[in-house]
Amino acid sequence: MDSISFGRYVNYDSFIHRLDARNKILLLIALMIMIFMPFSTWSTSLIFSLLYFIILMILMGVSHCSFKSFFKGILSMWFLLLFLIIMFIFIPNPSLSSVPLYTFNESYTIYWDGIYQAAYIFLRLILMMSLTLILTSTTKPLDLTYALEWYMYPLNIINFPSHTIAMMISIALRFIPTILDEAKRIMKAQESRGVDFSRGGLFKKVKAIISLIIPLFVSAFDRSQQLSDAMEARGYDPNSKRSRYRKLKFHLKDLISALIILPIVAFIMYLSIAQNDLDIIYTLFKVEVGF
Amino acid sequence: MKAISVKNLTYSYDEHHIAIDDISFDIMQGSYVSIIGPNGSGKSTLAKLIDGLISSNKGEIKIFDTTLDRKNVNKLRQRIGIVFQNPDNQFISSTVEDDIAFGLENQNVDPALMKDIVLEYAKKVKMSDYLDKEPSNLSGGQKQRVAIAGVLALNRDIIIFDEATSMLDPKGREDIRNLIKQLRKSNPNLTMLSITHDIEEAYLSDYVIILNKGKIVKQGNHDEIFSNLDELKSLGFETPFFATIKEKLQKRGYDLKNINNIEELINKLCQLM
Repeated sequence: MDSISFGRYVNYDSFIHRLDARNKILLLIALMIMIFMPFSTWSTSLIFSLLYFIILMILMGVSHCSFKSFFKGILSMWFLLLFLIIMFIFIPNPSLSSVPLYTFNESYTIYWDGIYQAAYIFLRLILMMSLTLILTSTTKPLDLTYALEWYMYPLNIINFPSHTIAMMISIALRFIPTILDEAKRIMKAQESRGVDFSRGGLFKKVKAIISLIIPLFVSAFDRSQQLSDAMEARGYDPNSKRSRYRKLKFHLKDLISALIILPIVAFIMYLSIAQNDLDIIYTLFKVEVGF
Repeated sequence: MKAISVKNLTYSYDEHHIAIDDISFDIMQGSYVSIIGPNGSGKSTLAKLIDGLISSNKGEIKIFDTTLDRKNVNKLRQRIGIVFQNPDNQFISSTVEDDIAFGLENQNVDPALMKDIVLEYAKKVKMSDYLDKEPSNLSGGQKQRVAIAGVLALNRDIIIFDEATSMLDPKGREDIRNLIKQLRKSNPNLTMLSITHDIEEAYLSDYVIILNKGKIVKQGNHDEIFSNLDELKSLGFETPFFATIKEKLQKRGYDLKNINNIEELINKLCQLM
């Protein structure tokens, strides 16, 4: 339960912290598109991905994100890595069979293409994780909600409940630590009654988890009733006009950051679309790597 | 003027469970009234009925002479603030200042004025140094003070404390009691209704209503309730510390008729020794 610290807001005053949440969401989406722009040569795709990785690690350092929780998050994806290895390396695939690496008994071959494809997909997932971590670690949940509501605002013309959805997200984010604390308390209480959450077979573990889930749900429903009473008592009505205590402000630094990042994204998109067969190693060093 | 007037109020959750059983009482503007009673006596249900969070089956509730009904509940609710029992479940926003501002946002208060209002009421409850703190960084007593600031900022005429101290440690309870005393001094027109188990808290009030199984078993002003401690004990309540000491000393022949609080009692005893 202690490992669930991934993505929590880090109270620090960095350049990224000071950016407008709306701008950060826009840049996050742009960078995500950039990460997913493919190149037909593996070497180019991998080199670009490694370059993004280095830049994102620097940004994580600058914004004081928790590297510990980031690497814990990566480790928790071991099953995905295993799945990718099986999918792309050990299952024969004619489209990934151009450069052989090793042949077993002259009948079964592992190809470089499969290894690169698995590594590339995993690296892209890590990049997505680090981007999300930078956003959530540098943006207060409330600002994030306001920004999402701002983006959803045009949907109001088709009666989309943007405010209600934003309020739901805000309350969910607010109550994550409270529910986690409650879960810890229930776990301790159940452990004191002899429930073992860490050992035992699958059946025993499922039984132990049920002893956590049921009281947790009961308590969450009870909390939600009390919260709705408290909100109503303080005059909350989703359909009436409300003012806003916090106002999101788009500053010069937001404009500068957008003017730096968006053209880079546009350039990478251009390279990916117009020069998809670009071999960056050959272009820079005139060396043929063969894949 | 009557701030709250309750007549023949009845409420039941289902056919077999009558939570409030034909009760009537009046609460005058500016008074501090406590409603005490054991668990399941209907205290919190009564608070929800007065705030219009649930509707009665029978009877009438008047808030400043206007009968509460489904049509005017939102309007009348703007005169009532309520502080609930669990400090965690009424902390709606992510930080102290956002939570104090939540009610103001609902009232569509001009954002330019909000910052000052939030600061003013945060200062009143001594939370101005914690404005950017999240609820996980606050103690139960501090969260309850934030909830009170949120209600005070709305400038309500009536504040209901629904077992607001029951989940707090002794220090937290003492903080809230002191805050109530301070509020009474600074705002004599504010009507306060405290629903409580805490007899020490009830001892601060002008008027006490004792509920049991949804019925009023006794009501009266401070002296009527606390002059007969044996009756209070027979109803299953602890007796307030000061009242108990005073009664025991009086039984031993000390004249303490004009002694009304612990400080006066200490001074009197020092004089006698």
